[in-house]
Amino acid sequence: MKSTRRSAWLDIAAIVVVLGALVFAMLSPKVESQGDSARMLFVHVPTIWLAYLAFAVTFAASITYLATRSLRWDLIAGSSAEIGVVFTTIAIIGGMIWGKATWNVYWTWDARLTLTAIMLFVYIGYLALRRSIPEPEARARRSSVLGILGLVQLIPVHFSVTWWRTLHQTNTFRPRDIQMDGPILAALLVSVAAFTVVYARLLRYRYELAQLHLAQYEAAAATEGPVAGDAVSAPTIGTSGA
Amino acid sequence: MKRIRIREYSARTRFSVDSRAVSGSDPIVEFEGVAVRVGAATILRDVHLTVNPGESLGLFGANGAGKTTLLRVIATLLRPSGGTARVLGVDLSSPDRFDIRPRLGLIGHKPALYPELSLLGNLEFSARIAGIPTSAAHAALDAVGLGRAADRPAGAASHGMQRRVEFAREVLLEPELLLLDEPHSALDPSAIELVEHIVAGVLARAGAVVLVSHDVDRVAPMVTRTAELAGGTVDG
Amino acid sequence: MWVTIPFGAIALLLVPLAVGINQDVLQQIGTGMLFVVVMLFGVLTSIRRTNIETPEQRDAIALLGIDPVAEFTGRVMASAALLLVFEIVIGVVAVALYGLDISGWEWMLVVMPLAAIGLAELGTLSASIAGSAQAGPALVPLLVTPLAVPLLLGATQTVKTIGGGGVNLSWLVLMVIVVLVLAIVGVLTARPLQETR
Repeated sequence: MKSTRRSAWLDIAAIVVVLGALVFAMLSPKVESQGDSARMLFVHVPTIWLAYLAFAVTFAASITYLATRSLRWDLIAGSSAEIGVVFTTIAIIGGMIWGKATWNVYWTWDARLTLTAIMLFVYIGYLALRRSIPEPEARARRSSVLGILGLVQLIPVHFSVTWWRTLHQTNTFRPRDIQMDGPILAALLVSVAAFTVVYARLLRYRYELAQLHLAQYEAAAATEGPVAGDAVSAPTIGTSGA
Repeated sequence: MKRIRIREYSARTRFSVDSRAVSGSDPIVEFEGVAVRVGAATILRDVHLTVNPGESLGLFGANGAGKTTLLRVIATLLRPSGGTARVLGVDLSSPDRFDIRPRLGLIGHKPALYPELSLLGNLEFSARIAGIPTSAAHAALDAVGLGRAADRPAGAASHGMQRRVEFAREVLLEPELLLLDEPHSALDPSAIELVEHIVAGVLARAGAVVLVSHDVDRVAPMVTRTAELAGGTVDG
Repeated sequence: MWVTIPFGAIALLLVPLAVGINQDVLQQIGTGMLFVVVMLFGVLTSIRRTNIETPEQRDAIALLGIDPVAEFTGRVMASAALLLVFEIVIGVVAVALYGLDISGWEWMLVVMPLAAIGLAELGTLSASIAGSAQAGPALVPLLVTPLAVPLLLGATQTVKTIGGGGVNLSWLVLMVIVVLVLAIVGVLTARPLQETR
């Protein structure tokens, strides 16, 4: 009861933070060159940041699973990857909408955009792998290796803007040179915080669902049902009983 | 301690086998309540099995009873989903089960040869991995009556010839536990005697054999004990 | 290989039918097309080699007690050798068809082996991860293709800068890092992956 109440308060807090971020986003000053379409920034940037965070959590949880062999970590890895895929999709769609408004094209073959789409496919593959293996331990071992490998993909995504000069704006956050007005930066940071809280809540719920699925599988396994061989009986033709 | 007398075989075989009593010590196979589930399907449930050194266990059961699955669990190729399983003293749920694999031999339903390699080439491959001189491979091939077909590609050899090569491999590798799935399949009468000889050789070295078959009468000469797999369980 | 190489050559031949026969355009895209074809066909070759291995053969290999790390290394080396031959032959075809500039060809002695080893590592790892899953053979290409992008980028961008008169080593370093990471992951996970069989 206590944890349900605390969970409800955390959900309310998440909603409040998101609403606050929305208010900040709507009240922040307009960007001269892009008009209102620049407000996509407050969705696009946090979602891609969270996609990276989600896949980093998948990476860390995958390593921890291999070290501890506790299925809990595999469930966290899988749950985080799912959320990461959703956020990456939102980031790409948001970017496309923003691109249409700013550059009049949905897709530009920009380095970061293209590589982010490829990152999406890496983790779609990860989820497809998990779906194709019903046994929890086999699924955990195989997908944890892929969860680690997926990080290999994130290196070129991060460095692509620096190494491959194209349309996409350069990194918004360079350690000593943040190219953004104060109010807009504040609104962006609130958005990032809000989305992070949403990610944490989604991860919690998805992890709980995964635990329920695992419990269901283990309960079914423990039940004395028919064995596969019971499906085979003696033939009825060519025997004395026919 | 169990004492098992090994049969003498006729002069038709190329080998002679000395009869001697073997005494059992720790069981070679020890299964308690072993279960195997693959996805949502339960293949085996509550399997109790003990095979001691010098024993040859014949395992029988209907089609789909799970005989091959049980054999693959014993061979450490499939992990049990429940229960306690020990082979050659090693718990099959531990990573140490990989270390006992070179001491096991498995001849399954279907041949495991590489079709592009010759019959001799397949044997030499196994010999090299096992650290056995490749010259022994030719002797083993001769012993199973395929010396003159050594250079034939495995893909062009008959099923029976390929099975003989697999038996030659077990002659070469001398496993402590030999697992046979339908050993008579595709073999002519002289080759069947070969199987009996190989089984005797394993038992003479205080090893053990588990063989799976539908045909109780044909395998009777090569088993010391039988058990039946039914309803996903066996108590033997 | 004797089927895959002609198939790769035909793929290179078909591209101008789609993009036009403008020589300047073909020269610009030629390097990229070369490595895309290498990736698609070469990786399918290494995956196919895993696919045609029967469960009985895999069991026999397992029972011979081959160390999983040695097995991974052996498979990578065999696949890399095949991929390198494929790259070289298809590379010659690409130079001929697309009029690619071969100055600085010495760098290809580094780029091609790196690409071959990286793709071989990816193919071997992916086959181990997904090979025996329900949708294994269909999954493996989906797993390999996006993960091969850093190698593709590295190879293509390195070759482009060779043509420009000076090599940008950043892309080469990226390839080396990817190859090393894949090798480390492959070695460290060889035993856990074998345990799932």
